[in-house]
Amino acid sequence: MHSATAAEISGGRLIAFWYGGSREGASDVALYSSVYSLAQNDWSPERVVVTREFAQKHLRRSLRKLGNPVVGRDSKGRLCLYFVSVSVGGWAGSAVNRMVSEDEGETWSPPRRLVASPFFNISTLVKGAPLLFSDGAVGLPVYHELLGKFGELLRLDAEGHAIGKTRLSWGRSSLQPVIVARSDKEAVGFMRYAGDPPNRILMLRTGDGGVHWNPPAKTALPNPNAAIGSVLLSGGPLLLAFNNAEENREDLSLALSQDFGNTWRIVHRFEGGAGSAQAPVPEYSYPWIMQDRAGDVHVLYTWGRSRIKHVRFNRVWLEGRP
Amino acid sequence: MNSANATLGLLGCGLASLAAVATAIRLRRLPVRARYAVMLAAALAAFVPIGELSIAAYVRGATGDLSAATLVLAGAACFTQVTGRALIGHRDKQALCWLLALAAAFLYPFALGWTRFDPYALGFGSVEFITALLLMTLAAWRARLNLVVLVVVVAALAYLLGAYESRNLWDYLIDPLVSVYALVRLLAPRTVFRQPTNQSP
Repeated sequence: MHSATAAEISGGRLIAFWYGGSREGASDVALYSSVYSLAQNDWSPERVVVTREFAQKHLRRSLRKLGNPVVGRDSKGRLCLYFVSVSVGGWAGSAVNRMVSEDEGETWSPPRRLVASPFFNISTLVKGAPLLFSDGAVGLPVYHELLGKFGELLRLDAEGHAIGKTRLSWGRSSLQPVIVARSDKEAVGFMRYAGDPPNRILMLRTGDGGVHWNPPAKTALPNPNAAIGSVLLSGGPLLLAFNNAEENREDLSLALSQDFGNTWRIVHRFEGGAGSAQAPVPEYSYPWIMQDRAGDVHVLYTWGRSRIKHVRFNRVWLEGRP
Repeated sequence: MNSANATLGLLGCGLASLAAVATAIRLRRLPVRARYAVMLAAALAAFVPIGELSIAAYVRGATGDLSAATLVLAGAACFTQVTGRALIGHRDKQALCWLLALAAAFLYPFALGWTRFDPYALGFGSVEFITALLLMTLAAWRARLNLVVLVVVVAALAYLLGAYESRNLWDYLIDPLVSVYALVRLLAPRTVFRQPTNQSP
């Protein structure tokens, strides 16, 4: 199992999604979900939300496999689940689909295909959380992997159609954008880096509500060609969950910035420290980080390519970190 | 609307499949009754599900929804193969192929993310793009290039009606299949694409 995503839902709960199957890219891979009670601190048994056959039937086209899910809300407050599917080839042949739930994830609409590329509409994937524009449109960070590797921000209307997009990066070395907005105008983005060393997390900024973005620049934080998670906590610091190494995913850490990404300090190591349990495959990746309404922070990530791990902490703990 | 989009997409992919089969087997060389029989059989094969999906759905999985240019050329190819009569003149088709090749050269390299410039984004209702397309269409109309005008009109109507899942005008005008066809046609020796005779065998 791999690539967890989560959102807070009514009743003091979180709902998480991930994909799982016999191996990555296998035809038996399905999207699963589980619900977490914030009060009782436990997760419900997992249940299947989307299978390849279900998606194929409703999209009325052949599908080979399913991939990354991402969950968020639209301007009507509905839960929207975006997920990757592939009809032909590998991940470079991906497209993104969207399902909507009116009842907090109990039931879902049939999937609808997003069209984001003129090249057979392939090579579009998701990893970062969607955000809302001030006009109600949804901003969905996506990336492409066909020949180039680059990120874009799609604009989706209420029906989930792509109605515009802005290029976040270009070339062959940046993917999986994660965007964090601080106001209607100002946002910062982070991207996984797949280019020549030194391997560093890429960062980009906008000051005009996402109309223009400055070119991605390398930060001081390492990146072993791995996904990143980020969240701006209410009233202050920016958090980044990332693999704190240039070559492998054995160290998963938490960094904090008090100046919206200009400087960082490492405040915690989730995995890779002395004494932490080691998975058979020592790989801890694809972090998803979010804050619930009560202020607690939740981090979900792939543990050893076999489990999804959930870590919860509060502001008191965070502020007590050296 | 999702279902209507899917149905139209499947019809387009099925039509393109029929045109490919009819052209590949040179249907017009068969007796007239055999042509209709083959087309009927091919249509059944394309649209009737085998197992979970139809052949059209497999094609759609690989190609996505096909543009007006592909559908107009596919429809004309089917007509020609069944009736033995050419619908599209050489000059008309050459002009369309040149325009498709130029559009593909403008659109696809940039769509692969080589630069910050993204012409595909212009298809989301850019005034500049629509104005350029209108001027090009008027020029084609003055030059009596009716095929070009037909393709643009069909694409514009389909875009305005939201016929497909896409809300990008480019997707209604052009796709990679017809771009490859146009390039091959422009680059290949002329004899490969000679017009069929009007005589039935």
